[in-house]
Amino acid sequence: MSLMVPCPRCGPRPLEEFTFGGELRALPAEDVDDFARVYLRRNAPGPQRERWFHAFGCRRWVSLTRDTVTNRIDPDVIPSGG
Amino acid sequence: MGDALRFEGRRVAVEPGDTVASALYRAGVRTFTRSLKYHRRRGLFCMTGDCPNCSLNVDGDPGVRACTTDARDGQVVLRESGWPSAEHDLLHVADRLHRFLPVGFYSKTFIRPRFVWGLAEGMIRRATGVGRLPAGRPAGAKPARAVHVDLLVVGGGVAGLAAAAEAAAAGSRVMLVEERRLGATVWDARALARIEALAQEATAAGVRILERHTAVGVYEGPFVPVVGPGEVLHVEAARVIAATGAVEALAVFPGNDLPGVFLSRGAALLGVRHEVGPGRRAVVVATTDEGRASAEALRTTGMEVLIHDGPLIAAEGSGRVRAVIIETPSGRERITCDTLVLSLGWAPRDALLRMGTDQEVAGAGEVVIPGCSLEEAEASGRRTANGQGEASSDVPAVPVAGDGYVCLCEDVSLHDLEQAWDEGWRSSEILKRYTTATMGPCQGAVCGRLLAAFAGARADAVATAGARTTARPPARPLPLEDLAAGVDESIEQRTSLHGRHLDLGARMERSGSWARPTTFGDIEQEIGAVRHRAGLLDVGTLGKFLVAGRDAAELMDWVFPVRVRDLAPGRSRYLVALDEAGYVIDDGLLAALDRGRFYLCSTSGGAPAMEAWLRDWIDRWDLHVHLLDQTAQLGAILLAGPDARTILERLTDDDVSAEGLPHMRHADITVAGVPCRALRVGFVGEVGFELHHDRSRGPELYDALLEAGRPEGAQPFGLGALDTLRLEKGHLYLGQDTLPDDHPAKLGLEWAVAMDKPGFVGKPALERMGALPLERHLVGLRIDGEPRRGVPLLAGGRVVGRVTSCARSEAAGATIALGWIRALDGSFPAELFAGESSAAVVPTPFYDPEGARVHA
Amino acid sequence: MPELARALIGVVTASAEAGALDLLLVPGRAFACRAADDELLLLCAPPVTDEVAREVATRLAALDPDALVIDTADGWAAISIAGDDARASFGLLSGLELPEAGFLQGEVVHVPAKVVAGDDRVLILVPSIWEDHLHDRAAKALGHTGPLEARPWAVPTS
Repeated sequence: MSLMVPCPRCGPRPLEEFTFGGELRALPAEDVDDFARVYLRRNAPGPQRERWFHAFGCRRWVSLTRDTVTNRIDPDVIPSGG
Repeated sequence: MGDALRFEGRRVAVEPGDTVASALYRAGVRTFTRSLKYHRRRGLFCMTGDCPNCSLNVDGDPGVRACTTDARDGQVVLRESGWPSAEHDLLHVADRLHRFLPVGFYSKTFIRPRFVWGLAEGMIRRATGVGRLPAGRPAGAKPARAVHVDLLVVGGGVAGLAAAAEAAAAGSRVMLVEERRLGATVWDARALARIEALAQEATAAGVRILERHTAVGVYEGPFVPVVGPGEVLHVEAARVIAATGAVEALAVFPGNDLPGVFLSRGAALLGVRHEVGPGRRAVVVATTDEGRASAEALRTTGMEVLIHDGPLIAAEGSGRVRAVIIETPSGRERITCDTLVLSLGWAPRDALLRMGTDQEVAGAGEVVIPGCSLEEAEASGRRTANGQGEASSDVPAVPVAGDGYVCLCEDVSLHDLEQAWDEGWRSSEILKRYTTATMGPCQGAVCGRLLAAFAGARADAVATAGARTTARPPARPLPLEDLAAGVDESIEQRTSLHGRHLDLGARMERSGSWARPTTFGDIEQEIGAVRHRAGLLDVGTLGKFLVAGRDAAELMDWVFPVRVRDLAPGRSRYLVALDEAGYVIDDGLLAALDRGRFYLCSTSGGAPAMEAWLRDWIDRWDLHVHLLDQTAQLGAILLAGPDARTILERLTDDDVSAEGLPHMRHADITVAGVPCRALRVGFVGEVGFELHHDRSRGPELYDALLEAGRPEGAQPFGLGALDTLRLEKGHLYLGQDTLPDDHPAKLGLEWAVAMDKPGFVGKPALERMGALPLERHLVGLRIDGEPRRGVPLLAGGRVVGRVTSCARSEAAGATIALGWIRALDGSFPAELFAGESSAAVVPTPFYDPEGARVHA
Repeated sequence: MPELARALIGVVTASAEAGALDLLLVPGRAFACRAADDELLLLCAPPVTDEVAREVATRLAALDPDALVIDTADGWAAISIAGDDARASFGLLSGLELPEAGFLQGEVVHVPAKVVAGDDRVLILVPSIWEDHLHDRAAKALGHTGPLEARPWAVPTS
């Protein structure tokens, strides 16, 4: 019905089947400023790494790149981790 | 006596093939509507459903285009505008008051003093308005059906049918939708014959042709909702071809909206196809071949037809066309006539094209090559089906000058646009919003290009200021009923005890998405049962997760701030879940099972989010964890009260004594033959056994417990009693007593957080916030008055907080509450007002502060 | 109108490493649905559930000692739609495009569902908290009146 999100296990699926997890954030680590990591977002126009949870399907997470201006999603999707 | 419809009390004959418009026109009706603001007479114009002029009330439905609606025996038709009638409309005075009702007047006049707008708005709404909703008729949502095709073709003309046939022959699954019946808008016999032949070719190739189905818009996908007489199709197509044709352009000149002014196709449809003469004497102003052809066709019907190629200066007449003024080489000529036929250019019906991207929607036929011949249209269709379509050709703008109406739907004249431009509204988009041009039923089909041309001619930055305004769905007006097709009002989650609750007379409520019992009759009585005897509560709604795998303990330890490594099998711990900002996002219970597994319970509403949250961390840290959501698979029943143990012991051989199963421990036992995981919990403040069991065994377990509890007078209780029982113990309800930025300290839950753990989600944030003074705190309150949830808390006349939960407590002998308060000048006030009642901050729990009853 | 019935079905969930699940030989009496890289749902006739669970647990333990195999039948409610127009009527319940045959998961009647499609039959499973919702919406969409008959489900032979 709308934006199609490519789930690596279930195939391209409408946006409504997913929960949006926001911009991909770094994991907590020694050399990363925690305040910036938790509260600040790039929020920039252009390609953005993000997390999506396929709530209506496999119920797993996927990281992908979406262009926040054109809404095009990079078909090259990495199913696990960062 | 032949077929007839009823029109405002009159009987109007219906001939075969008639539309409501042609039948009424034949019967002498010339004024079909009164324009929106100025109540000018409007008559038939386009005959193809593109303009608003013929909107009538047909069989109770408002806003029906008479020119595209088949006339039927027994129809009841009424005009909708004008007061007291469309013929004699007193509100026509608005046209004379045009000067006092300038464009955008509702933003400028009748607004001070404020109450004036209330009166004015009511009057304005009654005076304008495009129809009355059928009163008392229940809305019947049509069923929605999903359809998957390779190609959706919109438009059953020559181009559309050719495209569909071509694609189907090449192996695609093709569906073609046509708003009316195939060929309904065509008056030329040659074109009709071609359509019939192409329809046969398409059907033979396997195309599914759906007549009387309207494509509403193009959404991302592409996804196209298509509305038919009895259903709404949700079409997911790999590709869409819009072969929606073109309507002739409206020209702007004084008198251009008078009844008697027709587009040439409209005049020809009326005169040739329906054999109803538009008038006796027509002036045809045509710059296109087709226009001249329709003029010839009209001549053959017996009308006197004078053909000119303009320029057209004005149409004169009061209430209908009486004369036309044309510029000729020898000067201006005034020609008397009763009909003016225009064919001065094209307005392709490109709304669908402009809604989709190039990859999704392609155009074929007249919508991309306006004014093309039959052969060209067919060739265009076949080319587009094969992927070699063309881009839209530029349509030369019809000159906009003089005066006249630009937007017929919203009654916006050229003068109005000029006035708006002078006031500073200087682009097509802002002019649209200020004047409402293009915002009517035609959605810019007739006036969109005119508006853009107007702005483009005057602006410096033409590209943006003179651009066509954004096309958005719906492309056609549709009733809310159709938009509601397929929408589910309310999705209810139920435990396996749902039927039992109803049998026992429970009053049910929706708690989030769950159906849960509020009470089984008397809330106070239920509270008393739990405090003095025993009660049964269905807690099957709780989130329940099995966490196993070699990294299970590591996951629990890192995600939650509670101590996990020292939780031995058989023990449970209250758990609070934090996000990375240290804010509380859920609470529940963590029970350690054998073999390094855990059983996690979350709040009823928090289960889906908890699963997603845990899976995110499993994924990010690449942990070997098996996470099984057992929320649906397992039911749970809480047996709580001083007599709970006595009752339970009747049904089990396992040791559930105070020593055998103490508070905050759990054990696998069998109750009435049903295997259960029994957790000792204390949410309601009495000895409590939460019996988690296979969902299918729930009803039998419940029955056994009720039966076994009869001697003590055990009874079921619901959320109403639960609210007071937990409040008496100071237990919070997430979302009700908590705010989104509450971290544990604000809720008095520091004790649940093991800050000495090396790391957990949210720890750095808690350390940062711990260094700051606490600015807000959830506290217990004793209120000297009636309970009122949500009232503000005041100190020294200032609002310092709010009551989040409140109840009259018999056990505490007072009205008790939880509420949050802000610190004032560094400290938290202790004496407050809750609304108008005095309130004091008191420690919690309000009942059994030592916890003796729970630990029994 | 297609036939609508309550499907009595056994469900065993196996959670293990992706590699182990890839290599697992699924018992003949079970139909495997790979819900995720690390999750396999095995559908079978109810009476053989224990057997299937034991067999799978044994085979999987050899491939992944940390694997988890659990009978999760109570977590699901299922309906079956049968008849020539079964596949076509699915469009009244969901926007998903049915494969020719096999397993698919996504939104059906507005809740997360697992679907097994065949030539002339469709099996739909939803978490059991939505059992009444599924029955109600399916019956309404397919024009079925009265209570649903219960039918034991059989593994598709193809």
